[in-house]
Amino acid sequence: MASVTGTAISISARPSRRSLQVFNGLSVVKSVSFAGQRKSIPSIRSHPATSRFRVSCAAKPETLEKVCNIVKKQLALPENATVAGHSKFADLGADSLDTVEVVMGLEEAFGITVEEDSAQSIVTVQDAADLIEDLVCAKSA
Amino acid sequence: MENGVRRWLVNVSQWNPSEAQFASVISLFPVDEQTAITRYIKFEDKKRALVSRLLQYSLVHEVLGIPFDKIIIHRTAEGKPYLKNSIDFPFSNFNFNVSHHGDYVGIASEPLCLVGLDIVSITTPKQETELEFINNFSPYLTVLEWKNIAHAGSSEEMLAQFYRYWCLKEAFVKAIGAGLGYGLRRLEFHHTNWTGISVYIDGVESKKWRFSLSKLDEKHWVSIASGLPNKADELCCSNLSLPELGFTFRTVEELISNVN
Repeated sequence: MASVTGTAISISARPSRRSLQVFNGLSVVKSVSFAGQRKSIPSIRSHPATSRFRVSCAAKPETLEKVCNIVKKQLALPENATVAGHSKFADLGADSLDTVEVVMGLEEAFGITVEEDSAQSIVTVQDAADLIEDLVCAKSA
Repeated sequence: MENGVRRWLVNVSQWNPSEAQFASVISLFPVDEQTAITRYIKFEDKKRALVSRLLQYSLVHEVLGIPFDKIIIHRTAEGKPYLKNSIDFPFSNFNFNVSHHGDYVGIASEPLCLVGLDIVSITTPKQETELEFINNFSPYLTVLEWKNIAHAGSSEEMLAQFYRYWCLKEAFVKAIGAGLGYGLRRLEFHHTNWTGISVYIDGVESKKWRFSLSKLDEKHWVSIASGLPNKADELCCSNLSLPELGFTFRTVEELISNVN
């Protein structure tokens, strides 16, 4: 699992933990953990989760434009719809299937792998572009 | 006697409101819900979001008798809606779940069991082949499920098989309120031609969960997951062995007329 902290890059197989909500007084599974490769859908939240991995540089305009086009195409948005950096994925109507496809599309287009933890902090298209820029930089470093 | 169980569906393609009509329906809801609905960019998403709220509020109103304007529905951090109003026995565990995809918005409620609902709209992928599309989701399918899909026959059949597995997995995840981060590959669905469906979680068959999968039309399938909450003894809950209740089709006009 590649993680970016400042300018250093570390690769580790870190288990990811998910704690499920106590819902309506019924407590379901409190926490689950599993190691190794990504097994959960990169989730794009409507509000940012606390992220320990801050992106260090903003995306180049060409990167942002490419991301916008991929997202617009993947979500089959109407011609007059504006997809810009500030657009939130949730508002674009991306459901769980769309989310997987958008991330896959971005991974293929840029030749990178997006890890679920990083993907969790993506709220807007700009966030996605910044993350991609970082991963692309890291790859060519 | 009210048993708290509902299964409703609305075909949103049959509702084509004018701007004024849309505005009038949206005004039935609290401001934060209105904001959540209007945030969507595509009108079809706005429409589905509005009908989803309409189903939620109508159902709570009908089952629990709470006036529309007194209903408080919040969302968990993962985005699952739940009723904030405190409810007495026998409905203290009352919960519901909504789903929308394609032409349908649906809702399911249960008084005791956790319930999750998912609707899928089978769409032929536009930018890739069926197999390429399904391959995107291979991390979320187990080896057995993948094999069943691969042996389904034509690419249309493979696509349909994939969507059925996805629908069941989503219904389960939504029932437990886990959100998109749940490891879908941990779930393996066993079935006999899509009946007698059971789930194996981390390789162990779960006796607490029951599933149903039904066809709405050529392109739409719906699944329901219902499970005993951990506190409930398997013996005390006979609900799990009852046949699954079918869906009732409602219309937006009908739901609105029941508001007051």
